[in-house]
This record gives sequence, C-alpha cells and structure tokens, in this order.
Amino acid sequence: MGLSVPAVAVLLVVLLCLDPHGRVGSAPICAHGSSGCHVPSLADLFDRVIQHSARMHSLSNDLHSEFEQYFLPSKNHIRKIYRKCHTSNILTPNGKENAQKLAREELTEVILKLLMAWRDPLFQLHQSMAHQQDFNSFSSNKALEMGDMAHELRKGVEKVAEKMRVLGMLGNSVTGLSAAEAMLPLSDSGEAMSDYELLYCFRRDSNKVQNYLKILKCRIVPEHDC
Amino acid sequence: VIQRTIISKVCVYVLCPVQFSLPVSDPSRGPHFTGCRSREQETFRCWWSAGIFQNLTEPGTLRVFYQTKNALSEWQECPDYTHTVKNECYFNKTFTHIWTSYCIQLRSVRENITYDETCFTVENIVHPDPPIGLNWTLLNVSHSGLHFDILVRWAPPPSADVQMGWMSLMYQVQYRVRNASHWEMLDLESGTQQSIYGLHTDKEYEVRVRCKMSAFNNFGEFSDSILVHVAQIPSKESTFPTTLVLIFGVIGLVILLVLLIFSQQQRLMVIFLPPIPAPKIKGIDPELLKNGKLDQLNSLLSSQDMYKPDFYHEDPWVEFIQLDLDDPAEKNESSDTQHLLGLSRSGSSHVLHFKSDDDSGRASCYDPEIPNPEDLAALLPGHSGRGDNHPLVSRSSSSIPDLGVQQTSEVEETPIQTQPAVPSWVNMDFYAQVSDFTPAGGVVLSPGQLNSSPEKKKEEENEKKIPFQLVSDGAYTSENTARQLSADVPPSPGPEQGYQTFPTQAVEGNLWNGEYLVSTSDSQIPYLLPEAPPVPILPPVSGYTVVQEVDAQHSLLLNPPSSQPAICPHSPNKHLPAMPTMPMGYLTPDLLGNLTP
Repeated sequence: MGLSVPAVAVLLVVLLCLDPHGRVGSAPICAHGSSGCHVPSLADLFDRVIQHSARMHSLSNDLHSEFEQYFLPSKNHIRKIYRKCHTSNILTPNGKENAQKLAREELTEVILKLLMAWRDPLFQLHQSMAHQQDFNSFSSNKALEMGDMAHELRKGVEKVAEKMRVLGMLGNSVTGLSAAEAMLPLSDSGEAMSDYELLYCFRRDSNKVQNYLKILKCRIVPEHDC
Repeated sequence: VIQRTIISKVCVYVLCPVQFSLPVSDPSRGPHFTGCRSREQETFRCWWSAGIFQNLTEPGTLRVFYQTKNALSEWQECPDYTHTVKNECYFNKTFTHIWTSYCIQLRSVRENITYDETCFTVENIVHPDPPIGLNWTLLNVSHSGLHFDILVRWAPPPSADVQMGWMSLMYQVQYRVRNASHWEMLDLESGTQQSIYGLHTDKEYEVRVRCKMSAFNNFGEFSDSILVHVAQIPSKESTFPTTLVLIFGVIGLVILLVLLIFSQQQRLMVIFLPPIPAPKIKGIDPELLKNGKLDQLNSLLSSQDMYKPDFYHEDPWVEFIQLDLDDPAEKNESSDTQHLLGLSRSGSSHVLHFKSDDDSGRASCYDPEIPNPEDLAALLPGHSGRGDNHPLVSRSSSSIPDLGVQQTSEVEETPIQTQPAVPSWVNMDFYAQVSDFTPAGGVVLSPGQLNSSPEKKKEEENEKKIPFQLVSDGAYTSENTARQLSADVPPSPGPEQGYQTFPTQAVEGNLWNGEYLVSTSDSQIPYLLPEAPPVPILPPVSGYTVVQEVDAQHSLLLNPPSSQPAICPHSPNKHLPAMPTMPMGYLTPDLLGNLTP
C-alpha cells in the first residue's frame, strides 16, 4: 500500500476527531474491572467529590469577600445580615450531630436538592456579573467557573449515589429530583435577589454541601477516627 | 478598671472576638457586646461589657437574648450564663445552629432598654484553637556552617474535628529572631509540617503557628513559641582542600593552555597574525590576444601607469630601456630579431624581444601610451607576425623591437599602413628629431640620418594624424605617435630619423624623470618628446646608438664607433662598465643588475 507519512497522520487526526471519546479528559471510570484499568473505589469517588466541593466553596468565599470589600464597607450592613435564601425552605441539618443522625439517603437527597436548586441562580449570577461594569472580568470568570463546578458536582454526587445504590448502601427511597425542585431565587419581597444576596446564600450552601459530603463519607466509608 | 482587667483576662483566655473591631471593650461606651466566638464550630460564646455604666455591673442586670432567624422564633434568653466567667453567655451544641443567623441583644430587663444588638452566623465566628505539639528538627547545615534549615511540626487543635473533616484547617507559621520586633510569615500550609530555610546559626529563633478554617478568614490564637538554636561549628578543614584544589586546577589549566598553544602554533599564528596576501600580478594571456580580446591587455597597460612614477624616480635611465633577455617564450622570435638586426646570436644570451608581462623595466625612451585596441591589432602576429622593429614597442608580446636596423620587412609595415588608426609608433624603428615648430603648432622634423626603410617612408606618408589624448601623468608617447601627429606637418625629406621634438610648451616633465606631458588638442600639436634639457639636443640625430656599457651609476654608454649620438635619453657623462657586445636593444632591470659592477 505504501501510505505516505502525511497521509497516515491525516488519517489519525480524522479518526481522533471523529471519535467522540477521543478527547482527553479525566481518568475514565472503567466499566469492566479489566486489569489495566483502575476502578475507583467509593472512597476515591467521595474524595474527588469532596475536593470539588471544597474548591467550589473557596471560590464562593473569594467572590463574597470581594463583594463585601468593595461594595459593602459599612458595618451596619453586616449586622443586618439576615437573608432568606431561596433554599431556606429545604430542610437541612444545622449541625454536625444533626447531620450525623440523618439517614444516608436523606442526606444524599439534601445534597442533591441543594445543588439542583443552585443550577439556574448561578447562571443568572454569572450573567448579571458579566454585564455589570463594576466587576472585573476576573470576578465574572469566577462566577462562571462556580456555576460549572456546581453542575459538575451535582453530576458527581449523582454518580456517587448511583454507586452507593449499586453497592446496596442506599435504599431506594432516594427519589429522583424533578424539575420542580429547581426554584427561582426570590427574596421575601418577591423580587429577584441581588448579586450580593446570591453570593451570600451560595457561600452558605456550598459550605453545607461540603460538610454534608464529609459526614456522608465518614458514615459510608469506614475510616479511622471517623 | 476591674472590668477592663477581667475583660483582658477573658480576651487572653477565651480568645477575644476578632469580628468586633475592638479587642478590648470600650469603656466610654455603654453596655455592649465585646464579641462572640466559636472554637470548633459546634458551640459558641458571647461576651459583653457594661461599659461606663457602673451601676449595671451586677450580674443579672444585663441579660442576653437571642433569636434565630431561621424559624422566626421569639427572643430567648441566653441558655447558659457562664458562672466562672463574668459576662459570658455560652451556647452549647443544642443551641448552636450552624448556617443559621443569630441575633443577640443586650438588654437591661429592669429598664427594658436594649443597649446592643448584633447578628452573625456561627461559621463566620469560628476561630480555631491553636495547634499543639509544636516541635522542630534540623534538616541540614550549610557547608559554610553559617546557615541551617529546620522542619517544624505540629498537631491540629484537639477541639477541632479534622478527622471527619468537619473543620478543614490551614496553618500559618511565623518565626523571628528572638526578641526582634518583626515576625516572618510563611505561606499557609494545609498539612501539619513546614520547613524553614535559611536560618542563621548562632542566632536564637522563635517559631509559632496558628490556624484558621479554610475558606474563612478568622485566625485563631497563636501557639506557644518554641526556641530554635543551632550552634555554629567552625570547620576550617573545609577551606583547605578547596584552596588546594583551586591551585591545582589553575596549574593544570595553565599547562593545558601552554600545550595547546605550542601544538597549534601554526594555526594560532594564522588566526592572530594572518599573512598579508602577496600581490597578484597577472600576465597577459596569449590566448586572449590571439582571439582578439584586447581588454586584458588594455587593462594591464592602463595599470602600468601606476608603476611608472615610482620606477622613474628610482632609475631614471632604466625606464627608457627594456631588455628582455630571459624569456624563453620569446626565444623563437629571437631569430627574427637577429635577422632584423643583422646580429649574430653567438654567445649572446640576450634576446631582444618584447616582454609580455608588465613588471619588466621601462619599455623605451618613450613610454607608449595606452594603445587603442586597433592599435594593438597591428601587433598581432596575424598581421605581420613580428610586429615590429621599433624599439618602443614594449607591450606587445609578439612584436620585436627593431633597434634601428632598417631592414624591416615590408610585410610589417603593411598592416600598419593599412590601418591608419594604428599608431605608427608600433612599427617605428627610429626617432626623428624635431627641429622646428611651425607657427601653427606643428612640428618640423629634421631630416633623419638613419637609413630609413622604404616601408617606413610609406608608413609616414600613409599615416594619418591621429588625434589622441595623452595622459599627462607620465604617459609617454611613442615616436610613432609622434610621427603620426606630425604627419600633417610637411614632412621633411628624411623624417624617419631622429627625434621629433615638440614645442616647448608642450613639454612638461623632463626626460629623466620620465614625465611627459602631451597636449591634448586635436590639432596638430602633437605630442611631446622628451626634450631633456640637461642633455644637449643633438643635431640631426641619425638613429640609434648601440649601448655598449652601463656604468656604475646606471648610465648607458653608447657605442662610440657608431659616431651617432645616443638618442635615447641617458647620461652620456657616466661611464658604463664594459658590456659584452649585444645587439641594440633594451636593457631589463635584471640584466642591468648583471652589468653593474
């Protein structure tokens, strides 16, 4: 046949592009337990998800601090910090012990609810920050990244839940989240929440998600001193 | 004052709230909260102070009420007033709700006055306890013994639940020279150890560490400082081998360099002192001449002008004589010369012929100017072979000078005659003396005394005046050109003989230095011949004189028996050394060397 080198190269490139799985991404989870492939355990999955949530929370903290530093210098405003977030009607455990007492399924469900509730508001936040000139591009990029991370985290938690279900750790009481769970962020007065309120609420909720995941991991994956 | 002391104790012991701007209560104010803190994100405490209202310092007068905004509950009183600590409200795990907004109020129940109110969420008031178990280990000491590195280790505070991850902590290490004022801060560390580099020996350092929750901004208190000290160990033996190694290295390098220089001497000489390129002297390619390409010859002849001045200055008489006795290429033409000159070649190793290259001596009395290509064409053997019987021709490779024997074949003259442009000097075989000038500027030639060949006569008759321009810086004009120029002058009966002198005006240089000026007019003012004032212009010169000798001053002694005065410029005063009989011709400088005593 005698294909020349450029022809072979072109062929390879075409094949790579056509193959939908050809893109290099993170290490894929092997479906089969083949020898050359490392199947991540539930503990590994949890670690990844927890790292992800920690990063997300750190981002939200940075954005919130920036906002507070530049836009809300007054102390009075800090004092009157009661905000009713749109996720306030989701019943969440308010402490470590409460969370530890909660059933695994419920805890998982709470996590998923929270993440689902923030899908659209985060997108709105990014849009609003991008259009405002007060924010620099760095901040709006952070907001965008935050939204993406929330989305990915939700997917990751769903995978973890699936794995837990497969392993029999979770009962079938985890209901699928319907679209009704995604609610619009409305304040008390019914108006749309401002950027600062959104940031404040998300910072709180991302901390919740992070801690809940840690508690869940500790309960599901037995570890020392856990 | 007492309250201030208590509060300061409280601040030191229980960690004063950082959230409030004042670490210590402001006594000028009324009753107010001094801070709320949580150590492990599971409980928290709040403190207040009565301020300037001293009458409210009694316990119970001021009460704390709180409200959790989550449930919109009623204001509840503080669940636990700490007994051991004054003015502290303690919320235990039951009453602590994370991610919940609290608002607390400081009221005086009796007066039903709310003195202070503040709101917060618990995770924002978390200040972790200081890490415990701070210790250090020596990593290494520098070679000089002046610096060292250490590794500092600690443990997380026991109150913080880091195993489960309820609190993820970040640590900050600080150090300073003991009792200095400024602390060095290192970057936040998520692990429980950190290295400190670049500490000085013989200095005592203090190291401390504190922590905070990651993604939150409240640092806890510092741990107790530990002392770090490493004694300096003077190591002198380390310097000694270094010096020795250095000395040996330098010596080795020097030896190597010397060897390199000596081995590569030639190459280095070439690199540093490049040789001056020797002058390239190109000769005339005979092939080009045969093919009619006279450009090379032209260029050569034109470049001859460079040589002339120097040469003239040195050897005034040599310039007029050219003898090429050693060129073997011309040997085949020697027969012609001999034939022409009627001389035997026995014993004579001198061959008279033209030198084809430029670095021979001067050609003749008159340095021929740059010939036109067509002029040179006449020199080609194709035209008549031998070129010439004229002694002046110096550049032609194939021409042979004629020293005056008028036995040139007619053949030679013909080509010249047929080419009127050819300067007839090429074939000139004698000089003609200018005896007079016409008012018009013409030159009157004296009747020559040499037996002129009939061909020459023809040549004279046929030759045209050639208007030409001569370079004034030493260019010669040959006799032939002179003749040609004077062609318009009514020729005298025997014009072939002798010189043709020029009007004085046209003469510029003198004979000896060889500079001739030729007027550049188109008219008949022709060229100038060397007038040689120092030399008495001889009355009708009849022709050539055989050069008999060359004296010590490089002068030529002409042949006395010929009774013909020497024409060629020379100094008759000088005595020439005896020379072997040689045909009349030119002396080359190297031949001259043979002649000088």
